[in-house]
Amino acid sequence: MANLPQRKVGIVACSGEELAEGTVTRLATLKVLHELRRGETVTICLPLFLAGNEGNRNFARSHPTITVDGCDLKCAAHGTEMYSGKPAASIVVSDLLAEHGIAKPEGRRCLNDAGKRAVEITAQRLAALVDEVLGKPERVAAADAGGAQESAKDSEVVTCSCGSGIPAKKLEVAGQPVEVVALPLILDRLREAHRQPNEAVAQDLLEMVKIYNYVPPEAEAAWRDVLVKEYAAHCAREV
Amino acid sequence: MNDGKRKVVVVPCSGIGKSFGSVAREAGYELCDELRPETTQLVALSKLVLGEEQARDRVRQSAAITIDGCKLMCAAKLVKHNGGKVARELAVLDVYRRHKDLKADGIAELNAEGKQLARVMAEEIAAVVDDLTGGDAANRGGHG
Repeated sequence: MANLPQRKVGIVACSGEELAEGTVTRLATLKVLHELRRGETVTICLPLFLAGNEGNRNFARSHPTITVDGCDLKCAAHGTEMYSGKPAASIVVSDLLAEHGIAKPEGRRCLNDAGKRAVEITAQRLAALVDEVLGKPERVAAADAGGAQESAKDSEVVTCSCGSGIPAKKLEVAGQPVEVVALPLILDRLREAHRQPNEAVAQDLLEMVKIYNYVPPEAEAAWRDVLVKEYAAHCAREV
Repeated sequence: MNDGKRKVVVVPCSGIGKSFGSVAREAGYELCDELRPETTQLVALSKLVLGEEQARDRVRQSAAITIDGCKLMCAAKLVKHNGGKVARELAVLDVYRRHKDLKADGIAELNAEGKQLARVMAEEIAAVVDDLTGGDAANRGGHG
C-alpha cells in the first residue's frame, strides 16, 4: 500500500532578530521540529508568505498552523493570517514567561539562563498544542502529569517548508497551473485499493487531496473533475 | 560616535530551515553587535512582513544592507516591498563560494565553520558599511 505522508502541524516562528525573545521562538520551534514532535511538524520561514510563491502562501491552509511570537507585535500570527491562513493556535513568548514567572531573557545571539529556560517552556507549550491539534489527548494528559515527552518517529525526515520532501504533481485546474502535494501517493493508494476511476471515487479523491493542499471551496467541482481524469490516466498507465 | 548620522540598516533573513539562514543571522549579529555597533542597526525581517511602521520608516530613510541565506532573497525583497532602497544585497552562498573550506552545518547551533563563515561575511559587510558611512574610522566603534 502506498505510504501516504501523515498530516503535519505547521509551526511559524517570528524569529525576530532584534529581541532575545525572537531567538527563543526560533530555538523552541527547532526543538519541537527536531526532538519533541519530530515527523509530526513542519515549518516555513515567515517572510516566504510575501517573498515566496503560491505554494508557500498556502502553508496555513494546507497545515493546521501554530504561530510563536516573541512580543506583542505578533508578527508571525498576524503575518500568517494576513498572507496565508488563520492559525489554529498562537503563542507569545513574553506572555508565556510572565505566566511562569520567568525573567525577561537576554542575549539575542547567545541566550542567558532565563532564555534557555524560556526555550524549554515555549517548546513544551508548542508540543502540547501540536498534540491538541492532532487530537492526541492521551499524550497531552501525560505531559500535564509530568510524563516524559515522546520523541515521535525518529526515522521521519524533518522538513523545513511546505510540502518539501513530499512528492507532488503539477495539474491545470480551471486554466490555472497548480502543484498538488502528495498526489502521486494518493493515486497509488487508490489504485492499490482497486478503486475504479468513476464518480464514486471522485469525492474520496478530493477529500484526500484536501488534507495536503488548499482547495478553494468555489473550485472544488473543477478540482474533482481534474483529479478523476488524472486518476483515470494514472490507472491507464499501470503496467 | 556616529554624530547623529543615520545608521545603516541591516536586515538578515530569518531562514529557519537551513544552515545558511543561521549564518545570515549570525553575520548580522557579528556586524551589528561587535564590528560596527555605532553605525549599524538591525531590523527584524518579521516586522517587514507585518509592515510595522517604525521598521518601514527605518528602511525607507536609511541605507539598507540585506543578508540572505538562500536564492529566494526574502530580506532584499521585503525591504523593497516596504519602500526601502537596498544599498547592497548579499547572499551567504556567494561568500561560501569564495570560502569553500567553511562548510556551515547546524541550524539551532552552527558548527565552528559556520560561525567562521559568518565572521568572514560580517567583515566584508563592515567594509561596505564604512563605504556607506564615509569610511571614517572614528565612526566604526566596536573592534573591527
